[in-house]
Amino acid sequence: MLAELEQAVLLATLRLDGEGYGLTIRDEIARATGRDLAIGTIHKTLTRLEVKELVASRMGAASPHRGGRAKRHYAVTALGVRELKATLRSIQRLAAGLRLGFDPP
Amino acid sequence: MSRVPRIPVAILEALLPEESREVVIGDLVEEYLELERRHPLRARWRLWREAVGAAVSLQLLPTRVPAFTPYTMESLVQTIVGDLRQAFRVLGRARGFTALCVLTLGVAIGATTAIFSVVNPVLIRGLPFPHPERLVAAYERGADGSRNERMGWETFADVRRASKSIESAAPVGSWEATIFGERDAERVSGERVGWQYFKTLGTHPMLGRDFVAEDDTPDGSGVVILSYALWRRRYGGDSSILGRVIDVNGIKRTVIGVMPSSFENATLREAQMWRPLGYVLGGASSCRTCRHLTNVVRLKPGVSVERASREIDLIFAQLAASHPKEYAGGGGGVVGLQERVTQSVRPVLLTLFGAVLLVLLIAAANVANLQLARAFRRQEEFAVRMALGAGRSRLTQQLAAEGLVLALAGGAAGVAFAAALLPALASRLPANVPRAESIALDWRALAFAVVISVGVGVAIGLVPAVQLGGRGMFDSLRGGRRTVGAASRRTRAAFVVSEMALALMLVTGVALLGRSLTKLLGVNPGFDGSHLVVMPVRAGGVTYQAPGTTLQNHDRIRDAVAAVPGVLSVSLSTEIPLTANVDRYGVQAQDKPLDHPELAPSADRYTVSPDFIRTMRIPMLRGRDFSPAETRDSSIHVAIVSADLANKLWPGEDAIGRQIRLSDAKRPWWRVIGVAGNVRHMGLDEVVSLQVYVPERAWWDEESDMMLVARTAGDAKRVASAVRAAVRSVDPRQPIATPSTMDEIVDLSTAQRRVALTVFAFFSAIALLLAMGGVYGVMSGAVTERMREFGLRAALGANPSGILRLVLRDGLSLALVGLAIGGAGAVLLGRYLGSLLYAVEPRDPVTLGLAGVVVVSTSLLACVVPARRAARVDPMTALRSD
Repeated sequence: MLAELEQAVLLATLRLDGEGYGLTIRDEIARATGRDLAIGTIHKTLTRLEVKELVASRMGAASPHRGGRAKRHYAVTALGVRELKATLRSIQRLAAGLRLGFDPP
Repeated sequence: MSRVPRIPVAILEALLPEESREVVIGDLVEEYLELERRHPLRARWRLWREAVGAAVSLQLLPTRVPAFTPYTMESLVQTIVGDLRQAFRVLGRARGFTALCVLTLGVAIGATTAIFSVVNPVLIRGLPFPHPERLVAAYERGADGSRNERMGWETFADVRRASKSIESAAPVGSWEATIFGERDAERVSGERVGWQYFKTLGTHPMLGRDFVAEDDTPDGSGVVILSYALWRRRYGGDSSILGRVIDVNGIKRTVIGVMPSSFENATLREAQMWRPLGYVLGGASSCRTCRHLTNVVRLKPGVSVERASREIDLIFAQLAASHPKEYAGGGGGVVGLQERVTQSVRPVLLTLFGAVLLVLLIAAANVANLQLARAFRRQEEFAVRMALGAGRSRLTQQLAAEGLVLALAGGAAGVAFAAALLPALASRLPANVPRAESIALDWRALAFAVVISVGVGVAIGLVPAVQLGGRGMFDSLRGGRRTVGAASRRTRAAFVVSEMALALMLVTGVALLGRSLTKLLGVNPGFDGSHLVVMPVRAGGVTYQAPGTTLQNHDRIRDAVAAVPGVLSVSLSTEIPLTANVDRYGVQAQDKPLDHPELAPSADRYTVSPDFIRTMRIPMLRGRDFSPAETRDSSIHVAIVSADLANKLWPGEDAIGRQIRLSDAKRPWWRVIGVAGNVRHMGLDEVVSLQVYVPERAWWDEESDMMLVARTAGDAKRVASAVRAAVRSVDPRQPIATPSTMDEIVDLSTAQRRVALTVFAFFSAIALLLAMGGVYGVMSGAVTERMREFGLRAALGANPSGILRLVLRDGLSLALVGLAIGGAGAVLLGRYLGSLLYAVEPRDPVTLGLAGVVVVSTSLLACVVPARRAARVDPMTALRSD
């Protein structure tokens, strides 16, 4: 089972299709969930996901609007997709049949 | 890039792990630059928050924490509230520990707050006038660089005219005023001031009008303004006082105003009446060398004290160039009015504040130490909580919260303690402390208490957290053994060592101050100060304007006082030692003419009634006292000189029979008939000055401002009121002063040192007690830990006294390290005490050694109980314990 934050970061990374990096992943999560997470938290989670080999990263080019610093782009690995599916499926199964007052995803 | 704030980026550069540094900083800079175009402030705030958050989450908190809690504001607040609640629960269970910590912190925070309540209004807070920072006083500098706050009127007028920094300024002269009529005559302190005085300060009378330029002329000055206190006391607060004519020093003066009760007269606290100075160019006392006027100056807005000082310095340089005879050429400047008013008490107050901060440090170290020891005992609790999923950061926060709760409780206890301590402290302050009426436990003191409590709380909370967290001791579930590692024992020992070092500094302070005071009180003042009643007498008004009447009055006063039972002898003099009045004359010897008369040695001039030398018991070294004929006949000019004066004028020769002259060539020659012992005129801690005594009838003026001295058979205090009644009976219309004893005058002259000593001693006692507790705690813990080892030693045949020595040696080595560090601190402190010391070197080996012995024996005393416990170990119990 993936933690809630890990799920959120993986989903956002997927949506950005290999081009996402810290800032854009954060914005993606904010847009969908309304939670304004700290950059440090995002990077922390990405590092952990990478240790678990659920995401892979590559360094991008340095750019002036970042003070001459490079970005690190993240993509979800096959293992990451598998884990994410498993977690979401478990959640769905747990939620199935419950009357929570909203439509299950 | 140059627009990005550098500090947060630098923090990140320093703190982030190598692998994430580049990309995280890149993200934050990108975000900042994006946001900065629309909301510069918000961008900056966000960058800081993100930077701190990233540093904390990426560096301080390890990655392998299983469930990472996201860092948002709401969750942070919730966590803090939870932590505080938990802290209350934990501390509520450990009642003894909590009580000890709160008591320790309460005493230290309370003492610090009490001293702050004194220091703040007296030294720090501005004077109660608009823009007090612009109020200064101008001074003239002597050739040797010394500041002279008094200058001649023409000098002042020139400075005021030439300066572009001055908005308004007024000269101030002293004025002893006696009010006659209606009721008893009353003597009050007053001031003669330039008409702009109150305007310069930024205040004005509550009733009536302020002085105007027309009042401040030689003949237009028949007006006075009263203080609120005088108006209430003598005139019953009657507002018809305005326009009333009162008799002051025999001159009719019209009351034109009353100052408000809130008016604090900065230059002279006790002043109750003001009149215009009325000086003009070329007036009798206006000359440049008539240096008797102080001043208040208001600078123009935006002019700094430094800038004004430079300008005034320049003006004095020009004055010195145009009047080389009148000025020494040392320049001049301005000093903040508040600084000038408080300079006499600054050293003692700053010393006390320094001392109390040392006590606070010791208390904080002690509580941090207790908390650390307790945290080690709770290692299992922490390990269990970690196993249940609490992050290391949560435990850190928990410990910090406990520290904070302890410190705030200590702060609350401290405020209560300060409230109890402050009245006792305020009543013991020297009588000359300025602004003493504004000493109170006000909101500023409370805010101060809160700030130091929070500071101490964070410090004592973080110490155990860093200690435990840094050494991976949170996750020691597997061991289950409560062994304190060598590193942590070193930390606790370091705390104890620093406590001992701080305690040594305080004890050294006490020893230095105590030895100074003993030496000072052992100083021979040159006269016998016991059994002496001292009282100012002054006769004025129309009765005493005819020649001879003042001196006849003195004779009547002496006769009346001599008849008082218990009085052995009585005399009057213009001067009395140790009362800080200065009236010096250059003394020239007829047989040693000087090329430069201004180089003649200057001596305190004592114009005396008969029997002065005998009453004061000043020893006659050569020659004799004045004969009755010499004190009666105004045409006989004879003088007595002090030993040092005789030696200065005629080194190695006999002074008797020589002729001396005081002041200038217009004055007569006096024949020296005796040489008296030296007298410490200026104070016990001052260098010996020179004296010359002359009979009052032979002096060229009839002096009306006198001091009466009466030698009593028994306790001077008990005869004092009878002496006062006798003086009063001579002329009941004259104002009557309160008599004091010479012992009281000596007491007052040592008051600052005695207060410093008392408070230092009090603080040192607290410090020693705390340090003793610290040593006991560490040694006791160490003994518990090593019980098994001691058991083994006992089983292998070590005798109890050997084990006792072993523990005491450990304690002693702690004490010696503390001593080495504290010794260096004590020498520094001694320098800081500087002006309060007398005849004792700050690094005096005897004093330092004495303080060292006190501290070492205290710490050994604290080791005795744990050591005896170790010595009594039963070998079997120790062996069985596993």
